[in-house]
Amino acid sequence: MTPAPAVTVEGSARLGQQPLFPPVSLRLGAGEWTCLLGPSGVGKSSLLRIIAGLETGIDFTGHVTTGDGAPLAGRIAYMAQSDLLFPWRSVTENVLLGAALRGTAPDRARARELIGRVGLTDHAGKRPAALSGGQRQRAALARTLMEDRPVILLDEPFSALDARNRAAMQSLAASLLAGRTVLLVTHDPAEAARLGHRILVIDEAGLREMPRPEMPPLRPVSDPATLEIQMALFAELGRGAE
Amino acid sequence: MTDPAPLVLAPPDAEERRRRRAGRFERIGRWAFPLAVVLLLLAAWDRIVVWNDIPPYVLPSPRLVIGTLATDWPVLLPALLVTLQITLLALLAAVLGGVGLAVLFTQSRLAEMSFYPYAVILQVTPLVAIAPLIFIYVGSKLAALLLCAWIVAFFPVLSNTTLGLRSADHNLQDLFRIYGATRWQRLRYLQAPAALPYFLGGLRIAGGLSLIGAVVAEYVAGTGGTGSGLAFRILEASYRLNIPRMFAALLLIALTGVAIYGALNLLSYMLLRKWHESAVRRER
Repeated sequence: MTPAPAVTVEGSARLGQQPLFPPVSLRLGAGEWTCLLGPSGVGKSSLLRIIAGLETGIDFTGHVTTGDGAPLAGRIAYMAQSDLLFPWRSVTENVLLGAALRGTAPDRARARELIGRVGLTDHAGKRPAALSGGQRQRAALARTLMEDRPVILLDEPFSALDARNRAAMQSLAASLLAGRTVLLVTHDPAEAARLGHRILVIDEAGLREMPRPEMPPLRPVSDPATLEIQMALFAELGRGAE
Repeated sequence: MTDPAPLVLAPPDAEERRRRRAGRFERIGRWAFPLAVVLLLLAAWDRIVVWNDIPPYVLPSPRLVIGTLATDWPVLLPALLVTLQITLLALLAAVLGGVGLAVLFTQSRLAEMSFYPYAVILQVTPLVAIAPLIFIYVGSKLAALLLCAWIVAFFPVLSNTTLGLRSADHNLQDLFRIYGATRWQRLRYLQAPAALPYFLGGLRIAGGLSLIGAVVAEYVAGTGGTGSGLAFRILEASYRLNIPRMFAALLLIALTGVAIYGALNLLSYMLLRKWHESAVRRER
């Protein structure tokens, strides 16, 4: 993997005539998890999509820059709430999708190893329809790792999972994606409190950075410090609603 | 992290037994009930003919129809082969034309705007109205028959495949953009597999329509001689008041249609059974 760059997105957005968010500057630290927390419909997914270079349906004025000055294209991996698996490809074939698109020889040994690391060895030949929701997200994580990109964009990838699976996926992702520049968009304060090196809250009033937590992620779910961050996030989200 | 262990198999309870009974009923009933209806209808038909002494030139008994099918086989078989040949060639042309146009339309908005209306016009104009012109302008009879059958059959393939190519999941399209996939790769790895179920749905309709198109075109062509199909045999038999042969030929056409439908259904199941909602067995 090439060294993970810092990424900065600066600008403001409008939805038709309505301003969606005022001028913001979102900086993703190199090799860090940045959690972007906020209610639905304030443009947090749009910010992620702007970094990814995807269509957003909003009017964004601004720019995306990287710490090393090189373009982001080809250095991004993406996971979303839907698992983004191809239903007609088996788990292994999904993991090998990037190789198929690049026309390079598939590295089957590495795919097997990564599928093993996400605990799907017994399911490698199955189609996504035969897997549970948690297993599907693990397959998607294996594919993300297979691509080995330095910048990872996560758009609520764990929000459709049950509590136990979500906690397991968070731990797995935190350990496997360590050292990469990660943006996690979420509406779950507990998730942000566990995973973020830095946590930012976005709502109609704009983007606010929370104090940087002392304990590095991955923080234990029930640790008092984690719970304290979580409480602060709840309070901050509540402030925006008033 | 790991999934819960499977439940230990208990002896079937009342609910489970009821479900198994329902499953068995479904499996056997699927072919037993239609078969029973056919047998009942045939018996009724036979009795009506026998009891009312209806002469065979008005209504032949089912037994006579089957007998005619056997005795006239030397005439009917070549005719069946001709009709089959036109039907299958027309279906092949419908697949090539329909899929080709669908790909063109989804790749080029300009092509779609320019040509789609004509595809619709071709589809909504009754074949019997166009066919006589086709037989005047197209010299080869086989080519003219093929063209007629193709006109009827290609539209469902075109329309369904176009819809399918546009129905690829937007999230997956985003993923492809991030992977830097080319247009061709998007078509090959994303849009084509996503369109497959739609295409197969269109193909099933086109299979029946190409047979209908072939038969209707033969009627309009109305010329006999060697190399004439089942439709012409029906026309010819009607002129000679050979009602049993009309029924026998009709039976062959119907069976051909059912066979085509069954084959395309099987093809669809084989291609989709691993992943598509329509074919994957639901886990309960």
